[in-house]
Amino acid sequence: MRMRATLADYKVGDKVILKKVLDNHLTIQLYSMGCILGEEITIERKAPFGDPIIIRVEDSFISLRKDDAQKMEVLLS
Amino acid sequence: MGEKTFRIEDELRLILVGNPNSGKSTLFNSLTGLNQRIGNFPGVTVEKKIGFLKINDHIKAEVVDLPGTYSLSPRSEDEQVTFDYLNDNSRNDLPELIVVVVDASNLKRNLLLATQLVDSEQPTILVLNMMDIVERNKQSIDVKKLEEKLGIPVVPINARLSKGIKELKQAIANYKYKKVPKFIENHESKDALENTVHRFNKIKDIVKLTLTKEGESRTAKITRRIDSVFTHPVFGFAIFLLILFLIFQAIFSWSSYPMNWIENGFLVLGNWLSKTLPEGVLNDLLVDGVLAGLGGIIIFVPQIAMLFMFIAILEDTGYLSRVSFLTDALLKRFGLNGRSIIPLLGGAACAVPAIMSARTIANKKERLLTIFVTPLISCSARIPVYTLLIALVIPADKQFLSFNLQGVVMMALYLLGFVAALLTAFVMKYIVKSDERSNFVMELPIYRTPRWTNVGMTILNKTKVFLFEAGKIIIAVSIVLWVLSSYGPGDEMSQIEEKYKTVLADSNADLTAANEQIASEKLEVSYAGHIGKFIEPAIRPLGFDWKIGIAIITSFAAREVFVGTMATLYSVGDEENTASIKEKMNRATHASTGAKVYTKATGYSLLIFYAFALQCMATVAIVVKETGGWKWPIIQLVYMGALAYFSSLLVYQIFV
Repeated sequence: MRMRATLADYKVGDKVILKKVLDNHLTIQLYSMGCILGEEITIERKAPFGDPIIIRVEDSFISLRKDDAQKMEVLLS
Repeated sequence: MGEKTFRIEDELRLILVGNPNSGKSTLFNSLTGLNQRIGNFPGVTVEKKIGFLKINDHIKAEVVDLPGTYSLSPRSEDEQVTFDYLNDNSRNDLPELIVVVVDASNLKRNLLLATQLVDSEQPTILVLNMMDIVERNKQSIDVKKLEEKLGIPVVPINARLSKGIKELKQAIANYKYKKVPKFIENHESKDALENTVHRFNKIKDIVKLTLTKEGESRTAKITRRIDSVFTHPVFGFAIFLLILFLIFQAIFSWSSYPMNWIENGFLVLGNWLSKTLPEGVLNDLLVDGVLAGLGGIIIFVPQIAMLFMFIAILEDTGYLSRVSFLTDALLKRFGLNGRSIIPLLGGAACAVPAIMSARTIANKKERLLTIFVTPLISCSARIPVYTLLIALVIPADKQFLSFNLQGVVMMALYLLGFVAALLTAFVMKYIVKSDERSNFVMELPIYRTPRWTNVGMTILNKTKVFLFEAGKIIIAVSIVLWVLSSYGPGDEMSQIEEKYKTVLADSNADLTAANEQIASEKLEVSYAGHIGKFIEPAIRPLGFDWKIGIAIITSFAAREVFVGTMATLYSVGDEENTASIKEKMNRATHASTGAKVYTKATGYSLLIFYAFALQCMATVAIVVKETGGWKWPIIQLVYMGALAYFSSLLVYQIFV
């Protein structure tokens, strides 16, 4: 069975739409920073080995780890 | 959060709430100016800032600045404090008005908290801050419409330029509570996450109606461009190290001038006092005890203030969160978190506020590890000890790879502290058990020029706390120490006086030399001397004598007391009060052998001891509070003590 694509699968510059977050705690954190379902996420930067990552949601820049990104199911926008 | 009747008579309480980086503290500073004080929230150690201002001729206000929070569903302990304060119904001394500070350049996200407050039905005014950025981004906000949609007063301001403050005061004075329909209805029935999505959808509609903007904002573009250098895998680290290096250079070269003035000032003052005051016990106590101890600490205020200044600037520009981003991958391997870098860097100034700032780390294990290792970072209280000892054992003109060796040793000590902190965390990672998932979800604010009033306030407040907290301990310790070193058990003291009676009476004798001899013999038989002698066998292998033993005991309260103690110990008997501590220590010899006390081996050994030992009551106290018990501070105390003892032992045996 093919896993659905997560934020970690995309590269710098890609714009994706957040579809589902697989961790409740992470959901609360992302939501309170304005990163909610249906929101467009731009991948801004990745540190060496893809960890951590900076994403942009509207005019907010948010950093997260690769493990967090792997829990965020997204679709290319 | 029950309904409250709201009527302002002559006094009210304003509660500032807002997202982190919304400019809340800037507004607090421009509202209250110097009329503010810092305390603690009851039971916890999060900084509570309270200020006062006049709204108009009739109304006075107390202003409370709460820790920044993104929403009313707390996720870190810092946010919990805000949540608890807002929900506390036991305060009814003053009518309360919430001022929710909103970053207008990031309206949608900031409105989450604002609309939650509207739904809490507490009297609330919304302040639209950072209107300058909105203008710079060629955006505009329809304030009237926003007011109409939210049902609460909205005041646009620019806290940085103190614009709109008059209008805000007016709005506060004219505020009338009116019940408004809830922003989202029957929110009890849904779960919190569903609620937030629902809330954001409604917020989006409002933002669409009130905010005119085109595409990505200019400030975000600029931030992205700066980040392409500052968070670059190679340049980013190079820039970070360069900034650290420059900060250290600046601290040590710029501060030497004010430090010289202070040192000379205290010498002059001491001389003047000892000549002006009538001779006797009070004179000795003031000059040799209190003044010597205080002078030894005030001299380091320039360095400490500068360190606080640089950290405040780095934080205010938004750079520190980039450092967190850069270091997360490294720190993660040691059981820490990118956010740990802020306490670790702050630890270079003072471990107490640094340990408090670890509250922003949501993961309990990472927070504990950060708290545990932060005191290993060389703090500003070690600066006096390091400076004195380095100057004593390393000649000023000595070079190492064409760098000043004194500076290199200082850098090495800081590096040593950092490495010890990382290695300790690495070991602790396997000892402390936790199944809580660690993550690193953090906002990176846009870059901005520092708000100089904020920086100034931080320097002022932190230096004041440091000076008064340390000053209190130092005065107390100095007095006790002076008594202990001026008096002794039995009649040993008078025996010495008896012994030298004939020498002193002889008009041909060298009186200065005789007096010094008497003073040092007296010190040896004093209470302090006995205590020092008692522990000497234990510290002998480290290269320390009984005088250093006394200093180690007294500086258990606070490291910088070491310098004050040395000053007091070597001042007792120095009637003319002419030489500096350094000169006196340099002249010190072992009574039995006549060999110099402060050799290279003893100097290095003592440096290492002070780098590692947890000689700070304030740190122990804060760790008790932050970890909620005595278990961790005791483990920390024993661990750091053992590390200090055995490292010093090793170093002394190598160099002797």
